[in-house]
Amino acid sequence: MISSLIRQTALSRHPRMLLALPAAALAVTLAACGSSGNPSAHPATPKPAGAAHSHTHSAPAHAAVTTPPASPATAPAPPPPTMAPTQPANPIPQGNSGDQDADNNGGPSDGDGNI
Amino acid sequence: MTARTAQRGRYALAALAVTAAIAIAVTVVAFASPGRAPGRPFPPLRPAAAPAGWPHLALPNGTAVLSYPPSLRPLPGDTDAVSAARFGPGGAFQFYLNATPRQGSERLLGWAAFRLRLLRSDDAASAHQDAAAQGVKFRGGTGSCVIDDYLTRIGGHHYQEVACLVQGRTSASVIVAAAPAAAWARARPLLLRAVAAYLVR
Repeated sequence: MISSLIRQTALSRHPRMLLALPAAALAVTLAACGSSGNPSAHPATPKPAGAAHSHTHSAPAHAAVTTPPASPATAPAPPPPTMAPTQPANPIPQGNSGDQDADNNGGPSDGDGNI
Repeated sequence: MTARTAQRGRYALAALAVTAAIAIAVTVVAFASPGRAPGRPFPPLRPAAAPAGWPHLALPNGTAVLSYPPSLRPLPGDTDAVSAARFGPGGAFQFYLNATPRQGSERLLGWAAFRLRLLRSDDAASAHQDAAAQGVKFRGGTGSCVIDDYLTRIGGHHYQEVACLVQGRTSASVIVAAAPAAAWARARPLLLRAVAAYLVR
């Protein structure tokens, strides 16, 4: 009688564990797939170099920025990434010394390819 | 009878667990998906001829025609480009329109990033994308557009613009329509009207 009761309890508990584990694994797998994403499908817009963007926007469309997970406390902090500002081969000089366009004197930028 | 009841209970529990797991997974995936585009959508642009009375400026190479409101005046610039602008009492730009043939490595794919990169590397101390779209219909072609705002290196002027790379049948060109960011909301309808009237060949 007692052994029958024990067997009944084990049968009723064990399948729950067996069924819950695949469900949890499925959830973790799907979450991991979703968070990794495809970086090529969502090109990250580089942050402007230099001074911070001081003005505000009601609803800016920032590109998603993923931050790496924090490194363990014992590991030495990695050096900050050095990102040289992108410069074209021959930027048009500013201050009325370039091609005399308005955009070289503080005016709106034109549509040239900066060549 | 007891065993059947217990089995039914296990099935119900399993169904509940799977349903909960799927719900959690879908929620996590939906929030982590990179396809979620935050921010404003690009405004609809319906190509249409310019209103009567709007003057036109053809690119010197004949591949596009810029139409502009009568309150603007043609502006000197690059020899292969055309511009028109309206200035305020103090000489500040109020409206600015420019059309330039494609000159460099501009591509329809990745145009927004190209434009921002160019702004930052040339005229602007900072530039920020507000909206972008691809496959935008133009008169005679298709384009990629970006709405952005930037601070000029000289003068620290804050402009907002819509800049489109438009591919026609035989050539591509860029149209830029800009205004001071503070006046963008008022200027935008007129500027988008000029962009929608841009004709490429």
